[in-house]
Amino acid sequence: MKQKKVWIVPCSGIGKTYGSVARESAFIVTEDLRPATAQIMPLALLVPEDSEARQAIRESDSITIDGCKLACAAKVVAETGGTVAHALQVLGVYREHRDLKPAGIAELNEGGKKLAAVLAAKVSVLVDEIGKERQDA
Amino acid sequence: MTHEPNDHLTLTVDKFHFAFPKGLQYSEAGLWVRREGNMVRIGLSDFAQQRNGDIAFANLAPAGTALDPGDEVASIETVKVDVSLPSPVKGTIVQINPALQQMPELINQDPYGRGWVAIVQVAGSEQDAGMLLGAEAYLELARQQAEAELQS
Repeated sequence: MKQKKVWIVPCSGIGKTYGSVARESAFIVTEDLRPATAQIMPLALLVPEDSEARQAIRESDSITIDGCKLACAAKVVAETGGTVAHALQVLGVYREHRDLKPAGIAELNEGGKKLAAVLAAKVSVLVDEIGKERQDA
Repeated sequence: MTHEPNDHLTLTVDKFHFAFPKGLQYSEAGLWVRREGNMVRIGLSDFAQQRNGDIAFANLAPAGTALDPGDEVASIETVKVDVSLPSPVKGTIVQINPALQQMPELINQDPYGRGWVAIVQVAGSEQDAGMLLGAEAYLELARQQAEAELQS
């Protein structure tokens, strides 16, 4: 049976470098690395009380990617009734890759793009793990 | 708005809340100083840590480093800026907070406790302490800086 895609929920983080890294990594996962098993959920769609997105987010696991400690993506998914299978923070990944210092907002610098790619790879592994757990269940 | 719950002052500017323990002294650059015998423990104030943002890395000058006021005792890289932290006192570093190597976020989480930066054997006179501010004076400085930042 075909599995529901895992939701990738980046923070909105508009105008913030780390928010841009979060969004960029979500696009890499859902468009390039795991388009068949993951799909992006814009945070803004979860805010309206009557949105279809709120129902949809409850029907599959989510991986949230936040740009700062406010963790808006993780909080909103949880408050919506969704399942946060993994909550990642850009800063945590950057601490593991200090050479990839992100800068820029509208357009990330080279470090930011590479950091987004590293983060996307990490998220893709988590997407695969969720898929395997579902198969084993 | 300010009020005094117990042993510290608090300041609220817009949606931000800042705490200032009364027993500490503060430098204008935002470092706090706690007297511990002939040594001082120093760290980054709540206002300064919030203003600078989430800390990614903290680089501390090693133990044994002689400092004059204004010399860099540490530098931090945050999600917003890279900041050099000038020593608020004259002396020699006798201990740095080893936890900050792996968990620099302690400065954000507990700026007056587990997020302390260094312990310094002071060499200056009481006159040097005159360069430092009490909690009330520093709160006023923080208020001015926070309000100016909101308007910018």
